[in-house]
Amino acid sequence: MEKSPPPTDTLGPTLAFLVLRLWLAVRAIVAGIEKFAVTEMTQRPLLDETGAPDPSGAIVEVEQKIYAWQNYHGLPKALSLKLAEEPLLPKFLLEPFAACLGWALIVLGAMLLFGLFTRITLALQGLIYVMLTIGLILLNQNDGVAWLGIHVGLIALALYLARYNVLAFPRKW
Amino acid sequence: MVDVGSTKAGVWSRRDFLRAAAGTGAALVLTSPGALRASSSANELRIALVGLGAQGRVLMDAVLKIENVRFVAVCDIWDYALTYGERLLKKMDQEVRGYSDYREMLDKEKDLDAVLVATPDFWHAPITNDCLRAGLNVYCEKMMSNTIEGARSMVQTMRETGKLLQIGHQRRSNPRYIVALERLYKKGLLGRVTAANAQWNRAAAADLSWPKKATMSEELLHKWGYEDMNQFRNWRWFKKYGGGPLSDLGAHQIDIFNWFFDGPPVSVLAGGGNDYYPNHEWFDNAMVIYEYQTADGPARAFYQVLTTTSAGGGYFEQFMGIDGTLKISENPKLTALYREAHAPSWDEFVAQHLLRVPKAPPTSRSDEETKVDARETAALAAYELPVVLNKAIHQPHLENFFNAIRGEAKLNCPADEAFRSEYAVFKAIEAVYAEKMIRIDPEETIA
Ligand SMILES: NC(=O)c1ccc[n+]([C@@H]2O[C@H](COP(=O)([O-])OP(=O)(O)OC[C@H]3O[C@@H](n4cnc5c(N)ncnc54)[C@H](O)[C@@H]3O)[C@@H](O)[C@H]2O)c1
Repeated sequence: MEKSPPPTDTLGPTLAFLVLRLWLAVRAIVAGIEKFAVTEMTQRPLLDETGAPDPSGAIVEVEQKIYAWQNYHGLPKALSLKLAEEPLLPKFLLEPFAACLGWALIVLGAMLLFGLFTRITLALQGLIYVMLTIGLILLNQNDGVAWLGIHVGLIALALYLARYNVLAFPRKW
Repeated sequence: MVDVGSTKAGVWSRRDFLRAAAGTGAALVLTSPGALRASSSANELRIALVGLGAQGRVLMDAVLKIENVRFVAVCDIWDYALTYGERLLKKMDQEVRGYSDYREMLDKEKDLDAVLVATPDFWHAPITNDCLRAGLNVYCEKMMSNTIEGARSMVQTMRETGKLLQIGHQRRSNPRYIVALERLYKKGLLGRVTAANAQWNRAAAADLSWPKKATMSEELLHKWGYEDMNQFRNWRWFKKYGGGPLSDLGAHQIDIFNWFFDGPPVSVLAGGGNDYYPNHEWFDNAMVIYEYQTADGPARAFYQVLTTTSAGGGYFEQFMGIDGTLKISENPKLTALYREAHAPSWDEFVAQHLLRVPKAPPTSRSDEETKVDARETAALAAYELPVVLNKAIHQPHLENFFNAIRGEAKLNCPADEAFRSEYAVFKAIEAVYAEKMIRIDPEETIA
């Protein structure tokens, strides 16, 4: 007697893919937005227990995170300085790459979120993580390499599960 | 500027006006714009500076940053320093009259509100007492005097004349110190404090010299009590003029012991000696142990001044309690708070921006392996004090003095309070030479 094919349960894989898509989207969008943030020391009057300025007139320095266009930094300064010294990296590419990185993460993250060209978007995100990995391998930052490896693994999984994609346009891509 | 400073009989002098305005709020009853202008210029304090050496210049720079205070006279027995001061003030648009004898200055300048005194220590008492008697408020640099009697006479003159006498222990007006004391120390952050230590380690330095063309005549030097030009420049090292490094550097920090422990020590033990410099009268290095009886119980304080090395962490004062330690210095980089592992949470202080969260203490597996003693305590987390002083280091203390003259503040370091601290310094110096423990009766420390 022939075995009957197993029942096709698509709800589980569909939800699995949606959750993964959401995670990868949020990961990329927030990482991109963070490239517009700096943490600065700002000064303000010290307050007493009642909320009035302390009688000593003391001023305190408080750490504050500020988002602004002009704060954009594609790669952390220390990292880009080190990368610039790497003989195997083409220097002329470093600056445009850093200039695009934040925007690319935000745009690709948003596309993934809204389900636009899901497979292509996933592949492009994977490509970014691969490019970042090259830099970290050259700098011998193995923790970072492993960290990015996890991202790449998740993207590969997402591409594998992409056949269960819903809420997307066009479905084929 | 509207000048209301006439001294003719029947016309209010600017000083009378100022006094009345401070005492009665007269400014509030003035209505016309003209009168308001007059009140703002009347609010301007007119001051003189006696002693235009290193510290005189530091004070001058700080005063120039303060609004509504104007130099009208400067005095120095050394032409070289006097000319420097006059020129600098002229550049800053402050027309001053220069004097080489402070008594002549007091005779001629009839419209002064206050005098700043930054001469070598042995001139503090005579100049301060004369200024107070002339009806002026005085800001006098520490040490009050090179003798206990001199310092005591200043407190007495302050009381007799009812004038203000602020002593230049400027940490007492530094918001970093005030917040550390009022909002952290007194709120019990450190738990019961049983120990303190402070130090000022300064690299060896050559004696001060002078431009040969600016050498003073022997006659002039003797007139003002100086043996020769070398002693005039390096007065801190000679017993006739100053109190040596315990007084020069230690006075500031021993004052912090007394301020935080809220009273003078009950005993002192000290050692010191001429270890390096061949030509100084005072010792180069000294180590002192005080005992305090605080409201919470006994506490011991160690003080060290080294003028032959800057190693060992520079200059700071440190209070060590059961729950934590405050290390504070005029240099913010040397300031930190350390929490013991068992101490109650400090989060509430962090939330109020009184502390900043520590950078994680460096730990590694090898720390465990190299631990010598199983009872060794783990390294403490270092919190930061987020208070910043955006002003010249002496500015808040001068501002406090000027505000007190205007009747808007209480002095942060009046002479009677400073005397109690400086008495402890005098006793430490005595202990170095006595080579034994000296008991201090708190009554003795009251001038
Ligand atoms: N608060 C602080 O942080 C601090 C720092 C340094 C010095 N000081 C104090 O300031 C005072 C001055 O120290 P310094 O380092 O400027 O000394 P200094 O030798 O550099 O200057 C002293 C000046 O006073 C002048 N002078 C001496 N006798 C005089 C007199 N009878 N009348 C008028 N002028 C006279 C000298 O010509 C000289 O210009 C000392 O009491 C010292 O303890 C305080």
